[in-house]
Amino acid sequence: MDTDKLHMVNTPRKEMQFMDNKMLLGVYDNPDSTYAVTKQLVKGGYDVHDVYTPFAVHGLDRVMGVKRTRLSIAAFVFAMCGVASALTLITYASAIDWPMNIGGKPSLIGPDYIPITFELGILFTAFGMVGCFFIVNRMFWGRNTDVIDIRVTDDRFVIAVNIHENKTDVKALEGIFVTGGALEVRERVKEI
Amino acid sequence: MEHTDVQIREEKFVFTDKAKRLSFILMGVGLLLALIGYFTYHPSIEGFTDEQNHHLPMKRLLGSMLFNGYFFFIISTCAAIFIAISQLANAGWYVAIRRIPEAMSEFMAYGAGIVILVLIVGLTTLYHWAHDGVMQSDPLLAKKTWYLNKGFFYARVILFTSFWIWCAAKIRQWSREEDVNSTGLLDTTYFDKSFRLSASFLFVFAFTFSMFAWDVTMSMDAHWYSTIFTVYNFATGWVSALTTIYLLTWYLRSQGYLNIVTDEHQHDLGKFMFAFSIFWTYMWVAQFLLIWYANIPEEVAYYKPRLEGTYKLSFFFNIAMNFFIPFFLFMRRGAKRHRGLGAFVGACILIGHWNDCYLMVMPGAMNLATAITDHNPTGIIETPSQGWGLMELGFLGLFGGLFLFVVLKALTKANLYPTKHPFIMESALHDTGV
Repeated sequence: MDTDKLHMVNTPRKEMQFMDNKMLLGVYDNPDSTYAVTKQLVKGGYDVHDVYTPFAVHGLDRVMGVKRTRLSIAAFVFAMCGVASALTLITYASAIDWPMNIGGKPSLIGPDYIPITFELGILFTAFGMVGCFFIVNRMFWGRNTDVIDIRVTDDRFVIAVNIHENKTDVKALEGIFVTGGALEVRERVKEI
Repeated sequence: MEHTDVQIREEKFVFTDKAKRLSFILMGVGLLLALIGYFTYHPSIEGFTDEQNHHLPMKRLLGSMLFNGYFFFIISTCAAIFIAISQLANAGWYVAIRRIPEAMSEFMAYGAGIVILVLIVGLTTLYHWAHDGVMQSDPLLAKKTWYLNKGFFYARVILFTSFWIWCAAKIRQWSREEDVNSTGLLDTTYFDKSFRLSASFLFVFAFTFSMFAWDVTMSMDAHWYSTIFTVYNFATGWVSALTTIYLLTWYLRSQGYLNIVTDEHQHDLGKFMFAFSIFWTYMWVAQFLLIWYANIPEEVAYYKPRLEGTYKLSFFFNIAMNFFIPFFLFMRRGAKRHRGLGAFVGACILIGHWNDCYLMVMPGAMNLATAITDHNPTGIIETPSQGWGLMELGFLGLFGGLFLFVVLKALTKANLYPTKHPFIMESALHDTGV
């Protein structure tokens, strides 16, 4: 069980400052108990920070009450930017700056505008979404990502619950984790 | 995840008298309208002789019958293709709604019957190339004689359609037998059988549908050809089939059937409709754009009459109904899960593709054949657009009512979803996330 020891290396880098900066982690080895425990925790009113799984677990997002992503709105905005720049570019190049007579076709707004508009719409969406992904996940050059527990990249499931001073009953929380089948329960400091 | 919530029931659809009456009224009204349309249609087109004018009512009657029959035939065929593709892809999500495309595929025999009947009765009335001597005297058509002759034409159409009908019937039959004979969810006997047949069905279909589309619709304008025409035809049928499945699923759910089908399935069908509406547009634009840009007379000859008179209206109506409405109204996630909006967009797509079939067949079908001269090298007299009339709408009602009757009748023949399909639990637990 080498992987189980890896978390020792991954000890918190920052000093503990406030009690509100801490989380309690429960480590599991199967999606079913992760799902059941998460459901129990959310129902019990605990502040579930996040659940980390090596693959998508169906229904988990609903139980956690994850809100719908706004990425699709961003995609639409990027696409419209692409469409606008394509139309500006073609109109300027082929109708204003240097109109050419190609087989008597109209140089302003014709079916020949469709492919470029379509392609630029897609290009802007693709690049915009990748940019969005990096920004939302705070990924940029030189930054080391803080993985909650290195084993979630392999075969372990981690439930992270925020601990609030004087509000969270840590003993009861530990109890829920353990009865739910946790392999390990430990505290760690929140990053970011 | 919560297996305890799922109950696999043996649901039976009850074909109510109300629904029966509705489909019979549709059929009756449709037939009546078509007949009224036929007997009140006395065209007198400027520059046409009395004899030429006299040909038009029959051409229009048979043409309307052909494109309406073709429309419903490709819908039912693409429903069978939907099953074959999902089967071959080992898809799990669709199993809960599988009986709907299965029921739709029962219409294939009727649709093929209508198309073949029109082809037998009206080949020379509708198709310019079928007139005696045309193929030999026209230099452009003479090279196509080996392919485009009556014997080979009928052989192809009858052979292809009967093979598709047989495949669909076999897959349907195995699916129904599975409900009775299967020993449980781990029994894959019937699954494997229809997997193998689906593979050969799809392989054969891809090639034969090409020829079927060339024969029935493209040879209307025999001088013209387009290499993307088949894909474009398939897209038309495929989107219409998905839309029909989507609408029937909503209908059955609103009647309290299909307890394991959720908004998730509906959402996925909606995504298909949205995506394939764009696919259809891609094909449509790809065909139009190149011809428009290259401006070669023998290619433009196809689009020129379609951009005149009321055909021009249909031409732009096509893009509005089949692209702009689904694209902008169906883009949002909530729209695909909303019954009212879904029904509206679905109706628009079906009307749009009906209009698409109209535009493929009618302009060519209404043309008259004449002698080839230096002045008129194609030997075709173009008839100006006559618009949508009682005949077009009448046959839509007649075949639409028949389609509804056959499909709803077929739904009563088995459980509303396969209870022993190996993937039924996966389908019942289908979830696309937040």
